[in-house]
This record gives sequence, C-alpha cells and structure tokens, in this order.
Amino acid sequence: MKQYIVQLKNISKIYTSLLFLNRRRTKALDNISLEIFQNEIFTLLGPNGSGKTTLLNTIIGQILPDNGEIYIFDTKIKTSIPEKIKRKMNLCSGNPNFPWCMTVKEILKFYGLLYGISGKKLNQQVNKYITIFELEKYADVRFDELSTGTKQRLALAKSLINEPEILLLDEPTLGLDPEVSIKIRHFIKKIKQEQSITIILTTHYMKEAEELSDRIAFINSGKILTIGTIYEIYKNTNTTNLEDAFLKLVHL
Amino acid sequence: MKKEFLRIFAYIYRNYVFAVRNIFTFFDLLFWPIIGIISIGMMSTFLNLDKSLLSFLLTGTITSGVLQVTQLEVSYGLLYEIWSKSIKQIFITPTKHYHYILGSWIVGTIRGLIVFILLSIISYYLFGFYLPKIDYIIVSLLGIFLTGLILGMFVNLFVLLYGQRVDIIAWSVSVLTMLICGIYYPVNILPKWLIKIAEFIPLTYFLEYFRKGYGFEESFKYGLLKGFILCIVYSFILFYLINLSHHHTKKTGSIIRLSE
Repeated sequence: MKQYIVQLKNISKIYTSLLFLNRRRTKALDNISLEIFQNEIFTLLGPNGSGKTTLLNTIIGQILPDNGEIYIFDTKIKTSIPEKIKRKMNLCSGNPNFPWCMTVKEILKFYGLLYGISGKKLNQQVNKYITIFELEKYADVRFDELSTGTKQRLALAKSLINEPEILLLDEPTLGLDPEVSIKIRHFIKKIKQEQSITIILTTHYMKEAEELSDRIAFINSGKILTIGTIYEIYKNTNTTNLEDAFLKLVHL
Repeated sequence: MKKEFLRIFAYIYRNYVFAVRNIFTFFDLLFWPIIGIISIGMMSTFLNLDKSLLSFLLTGTITSGVLQVTQLEVSYGLLYEIWSKSIKQIFITPTKHYHYILGSWIVGTIRGLIVFILLSIISYYLFGFYLPKIDYIIVSLLGIFLTGLILGMFVNLFVLLYGQRVDIIAWSVSVLTMLICGIYYPVNILPKWLIKIAEFIPLTYFLEYFRKGYGFEESFKYGLLKGFILCIVYSFILFYLINLSHHHTKKTGSIIRLSE
C-alpha cells in the first residue's frame, strides 16, 4: 500500500474583501480532499485563478483554511506547521523574489542558515546546487542583475538547499521562454531521479503537466474536477489529450 | 539551540550585506546624525549657550541619532523582505519572529554604537562636549537600544499587517517619540496630558538619566526602573501582537499578497 505524505480533508477557503462598505466574498477553495503519495510528482492543473496557488500556500502553511484538516507526515497541522516538518519542506515560486542586493551565493547561504545548516556542510550544499543549476558564473552576481531564467534556476537551487522531502513548485516555468522552460523541466526531472522527493507542482501548462506528472488533479473555481494518472484521466474522459479532458470535465 | 543561533545569525548576515551595499543605510548611519549634531552644535554656539545647556542639547541629538539607527535596523528586519517581496519565502523556513527581530537588533546596536562614538568625537572636537561617567553611558545606551528594539517591533507589527504602504512609520516613529520624551527640552515644560504620555515611554527615563550625568535633576522617581520595566513589558506585548497579526495575515491571505 502506498504511503501518503500529504492528506487534505474537506479544505475550504473564502476570501473576504471590503470595498466602500461592500463586502465581497470569493470562494477560493471548495471542499477539497486529496492525498499525495511519497515520491510522486503530483500536479495541480488548472487555469489562472482556479485556486491551485491558494491550495499550495495552504499546504505550506501560508494560508489558513476556513474548514477542513491538513495532515503532513501524519501530523495534523493546526495554526502553523511544526518546525520539524518545515525543515523537510521547501517551495519554489514561479515569480521568484529574493533580497535584491544579495548575490546568488549569499542568498543560498542565507536560506541554508535559516534551515540550520552551517560550516562545511553549508558551503558544500551551496556549491553543489550552484553546480547542478549551472549558476557558477552568476555566483557573485546580485539578484537584481540576474535574468528571469537565472532567477528561476536560483529559486530551484534555494528550494533544494535543505534537501526537502516535500518540494512545492508553484508555476516554475511561468513567463519563461520555451528554451528556458525546457531546461527547468529537465532540472525537475533530474531532481526527481536523483533524490527521494515528493513534488507538488502547480501549472496551467498542459504540456508541462503531461511531461512531468505521476498524477494530476484538475482544479477549477476552487474545486477538484478529477484526480488520476494521465492514463486514468484519458480513460475516464474518453479523450487523448489533457486539454480536451479538461474542457470535457469543465462542461460536465 | 545551535540552530536557533544560526537563524539569528542568518539575519545578522543579511542585514550586514544590505548595510554595506546600499547607500541609504550609509545615510542612516552617518549623514543625518552628523548633520543633526553639527547644526544643533552650531546653533548653540550662535546662541552663546553655556556648557551645561550645550550638554543638554547635544545629549538629545546623540540619543536621537543612536535611537533612530537602532530602530531603523530592527524595522529593516522585516522591511527588507517586504521590499524584496520575499516575505513568503522567509516564513516557509523554520524562522520565528524573534529570529529576525533579534538578528536585526544586534546589527542595530552595533550601528548605534558606531553612531554614538562618532557623534561623541565630533561633539568633543567641534564643541568641547564631554561624555559623562561610564556608568551613565552604559545604562543610558542600553536603555536607548532597548527603546530602539521596541519601536522597531512596533513598526514591524504595522508593516506585517499593512505592508509597504505604511513603511513611512519606520522613519517617523522615533522622531515622534523623541518629541514627546524631551529631546531638546525637559519633559516638565510639556502640556500635562503629554507628560502623562511621556511617562509611558521608556526613552523619557533613559534620556533623563543620561542628562543626570551632567547634573540635571530627574523629573520622575525610580525613572530607570520604570524605563526598564516598560521595555520588558512592551517587548512581550509587541511580540505577542506580532504573532497575532501574522496569524491574521495567514487567515486573510495578505501574507501572500505581500510577496507578489
């Protein structure tokens, strides 16, 4: 039996905004339940504003759900993720932002220290990920002088600095040109091959989901439409590509 | 325990990098405090003030410089992440609020100490200003550093709740505090209601103690004790409120908006 790492039970989230005494309520997550298994790439696939990033932020403890339960490594998460679990998780955002005047090396060192890594081990980790993500010639370049693609590779390097067991990738190829996107996807596959890691990916690119995922959850308007392997989704929707499958599920 | 120190050290490291790479931190450290001490000193010379009044004014100016530098550094603890839009990245790590507050405060006290030494040397050479006995200096400086910590935490509380749009508080809070605490005048010349407010600000007592070193009378009994007790009480209250506001930002999702 497969062991799940993350389990969500009936997660709901409503955002409330107040504009000139006019209260607006937006349902971001609607009764979401799912399990994510060890060492799989689990993809949340959906259009912009579908709730996938909100769900990812809920898993990583940056958004508190209104209802529902979250279990990570069998621990029920209450108002914040315990330190011992935080040490085993990390996130790479599609729109990476780091302190603007720090260099690539300094950023990796800074985050390494925050995860409690020091001395020789820290230097080894920093150099290891600088090499893996081909950042050698940018090691002493400030963050605000990096290109978008290099920033993204740095974000991936930073997300692995603590050798996480759960890696969350939030639209990792967002806004990148095709060539760099291919490179980033290549890095993600490499990480998966070389490390025992569970990856939770959000994307709105069908091709990316198809190429990387072990299982996919279609999400739209805060609801999960279906969960399964690509083969299961094709079979259940009687389609041959993810785009058609998604459209079919949305119009059901 | 080692990991706790490493996290605090991480913020010392980050603040250090910012301090050496950004021109505005140089202005915070040197430009404004030096402009302040020279202009007040020149004004005192022009008004032909005696030594004791000159000391009264210059202690206010030195305190002002040290306090502002320390408070700003503590505020930068969070502001650097807000300006970089990387606050989310920080809070997914095992960081707790006291890590960046303490890390930034340590850098703030070092910077504050540099400002203190520099302003004292300038005041000595230009205006013949002497520092009081060492015990007055140590106690007053400790009090000023603690006040800087509290004011910095106060800024952090608002920045965490409202983001970059309220970052102006960082440059105004210590100025406003000094106005109430008697920066260039004794507190007892203030309106009664303002004196009441001053009694709740620890800096009032530390500034008076600093001036006691030059023979000025204190306006309040047990001033130092009150000052340190207020510092301890306020830091616990603010720490609790910062945690509470972080919880609130996770509920409203605003912590994510601060990173976009």
